[in-house]
Amino acid sequence: MESSDEEDVEKHRIHLRPVTLRSAPPVTLHLLPCEVGVNRPAPVGSFFTPAIRQGPDGLEVSFRGRRLRGEEVEVPPGLLGYVMAMEEKSLGKQDFPGGSDSEEQELVEPPEALERDFDRFMGASASFRRFTLWGLETVPGPDAKVRAALTWPSLAQAIHAQVPQD
Amino acid sequence: SEYLKDASKKMKSGLMFVKLVNPCSGEGALYLFNMCLQQLFEIKVFKEKHHSWFINQSVQSGGLLHFVTPMDPLFLLLHYLIKADKEGKFQPLDQVVVDDMFPNCILLLKLPELEKLLQHVTEGKEIGKKKYYKYSKEKTLKWLEKKVNQTVAALKTNNINVGARVQSTAFFSGHQISSDKEEDYIRYAHGLISDYITKELSDDLSKYLKLPEDPTSLPKPPSKKVKLSDEPVEAKEDYTKFNTKDMKTEKKNSKMTAAQKALAKVDKTGMKSIDSFFGAKNKKKVGKI
Repeated sequence: MESSDEEDVEKHRIHLRPVTLRSAPPVTLHLLPCEVGVNRPAPVGSFFTPAIRQGPDGLEVSFRGRRLRGEEVEVPPGLLGYVMAMEEKSLGKQDFPGGSDSEEQELVEPPEALERDFDRFMGASASFRRFTLWGLETVPGPDAKVRAALTWPSLAQAIHAQVPQD
Repeated sequence: SEYLKDASKKMKSGLMFVKLVNPCSGEGALYLFNMCLQQLFEIKVFKEKHHSWFINQSVQSGGLLHFVTPMDPLFLLLHYLIKADKEGKFQPLDQVVVDDMFPNCILLLKLPELEKLLQHVTEGKEIGKKKYYKYSKEKTLKWLEKKVNQTVAALKTNNINVGARVQSTAFFSGHQISSDKEEDYIRYAHGLISDYITKELSDDLSKYLKLPEDPTSLPKPPSKKVKLSDEPVEAKEDYTKFNTKDMKTEKKNSKMTAAQKALAKVDKTGMKSIDSFFGAKNKKKVGKI
């Protein structure tokens, strides 16, 4: 199937490797109240995590000299959090993450020819059931926007549930 | 990026993200298809200014949180049925669900129990083993009314404050204000569902539900606002790259406390689109994809 780059984007499908959802190890997550404009490894365990204290109203830590207050936020029941990563685009269908290449291929092999050469793959690198939500100076509290977002799945369920036939 | 996924499903294969039409805006949006269990999921992103993640021993800018929730495929099918209805005749489904922009729409035809679903919104005909369908506005409005009702029930169960006015006590007592009127619930639910249907149908539904015009939003009709504020997940954006555009210095943040943010964001219109759950404060203009 010949196509220009643009069409390519239109048509391509991103396959999620199901095996990675089952094997994703738990991850420690912090949602910070500031923008760090980079994506890269960071010595969180050396500087941030050891400085977390249990204060009178929630967790306390500081980041870049500013005081943060935090609290644990649970992923709503029935849901699981995943950290997803896109696999680097490779020629053909060789993938590189993990050593279990052949096993993944086998499990991913769909019942029908769903994959095409220009399709891409992503997988879960980690999973989580809670994360720590941080606010600047004060605990984000029940009105934090992210908390409202976490009620979304239960509403979505109602909106999208099948209605009874007349 | 983070995803929330239903934990209980044992998926073996055929999970894929595809771009399909957003039935409200007509733009592209990302959906997740489970070909094995034949289910459709939509993807919404929580996005609020000034957030980042620490993920184990790494930092991830943006602070995005993606939600993957089941989607009623009928909203998408409806988009095509209404389009095809311009021709005003009964047509087989594979002639209705066609899309040059979003060719993956044919996946919709593989979903189970389509016939049963379509009964909610179409008149059907069978001619020699082949099924033909025609959009029925009457049936669709009935179906949407039921959707509104079940959404109202969920709003009540989840104690979501739908009142036109939010009182400041709500922020301090932790109690919901119990004076929400039934009409407020219906209006709110109508707003949520309007994110899945065209503006025209949303207006028709509003009339059908006998919702009075909302006096607080007379300058612009509320449903118009809903449409504009919808923010589809675009496929180009960004499962592929974690880009570092839009780097912000940290300075701005120092002036905001969580309490200030919360107070600044009280929405007084009484009509919510889904967007309001995801913290998209600056509305993205409808861009081309």
